Amino acid sequence: MVLPLVLLAVALCAALTGWAGWFVARDRAVVLKQLWGGAVIEGVILLQMIVAGVLAATGSSAGDPVKLWGYLITALFILPVAAVWAFAERTRWSSVVLAVAAITVAFLEWRLWQIWTA
Amino acid sequence: MTHPDNPQDPGNPQDPPHSRSLQHPASAPDPATTAPPSGTTDGPGARDTSRRTGSGFGRVLVLVYGIFAISATARASVQLLRDWHEAPVAYGLSALAAVVYVVATIALARGSATSRTVAWTAVGVELVGVLAVGAWSLLDPATFPEPTVWSGFGVGYGFVPLVLPVVGLTWLWRTRPPQNSTSRPKDTA
Repeated sequence: MVLPLVLLAVALCAALTGWAGWFVARDRAVVLKQLWGGAVIEGVILLQMIVAGVLAATGSSAGDPVKLWGYLITALFILPVAAVWAFAERTRWSSVVLAVAAITVAFLEWRLWQIWTA
Repeated sequence: MTHPDNPQDPGNPQDPPHSRSLQHPASAPDPATTAPPSGTTDGPGARDTSRRTGSGFGRVLVLVYGIFAISATARASVQLLRDWHEAPVAYGLSALAAVVYVVATIALARGSATSRTVAWTAVGVELVGVLAVGAWSLLDPATFPEPTVWSGFGVGYGFVPLVLPVVGLTWLWRTRPPQNSTSRPKDTA
């Protein structure tokens, strides 16, 4: 249950990074559709939080709960903040911002997986 | 995070609405905020004089600083509140790094004259910090039983902590106000 969710989030982040990267190459700024893509990733992170909460409630959770929740909460906040920050810029650099944010969330998901399986 | 649209900055009016997603060469009257029309690479070195530190490439820089500010603060909080006794020196330096990243993020995002001075100082401290702590962690690994942002010159973060202050100082230099164009900025600290 946990590994598919992490892989799904990483795959979506990779897709969003590619999309934003394509916009960088085309010299375009972030568009609203891309933020909906980010919202899908947010949904997956929320799902991970529910799973983590259920696992903790049933006593079957593994890993360091403080670190686990620290990474989950950090991952949840990266894309919304980056979206606001990117949308205020109407040059290609806004697309770079979105790509960097998506890469960061993918990295956090990888760390999350390490903590979850520790 | 500080909102980037600072109406007090006279040299950088808001981006016109026509540039929402594509740059139109015929309707780009503002060279300070509009990308070059013909696909020219506008990297950190291109026409950045007197530009705000938080727009253009600077927007990416502020984001990366912000990510490090958040992650370093989160890590330092856990280390200090829960595991303080395990490695006080390393965790104290973690907290210092977190403060430096937070200050640098805010200063670079604001970009006023005062913020510029603060940013020079914070990014300078960051460079000294990553070099000093990096060297210290290699010479005296016993002091660093748990990794910090700066130990091993930021190896745990793909050496981004080592590259970031160099990029930050370069960016501050590139975007310096024009009145200092022939001399070193007096606020280098």
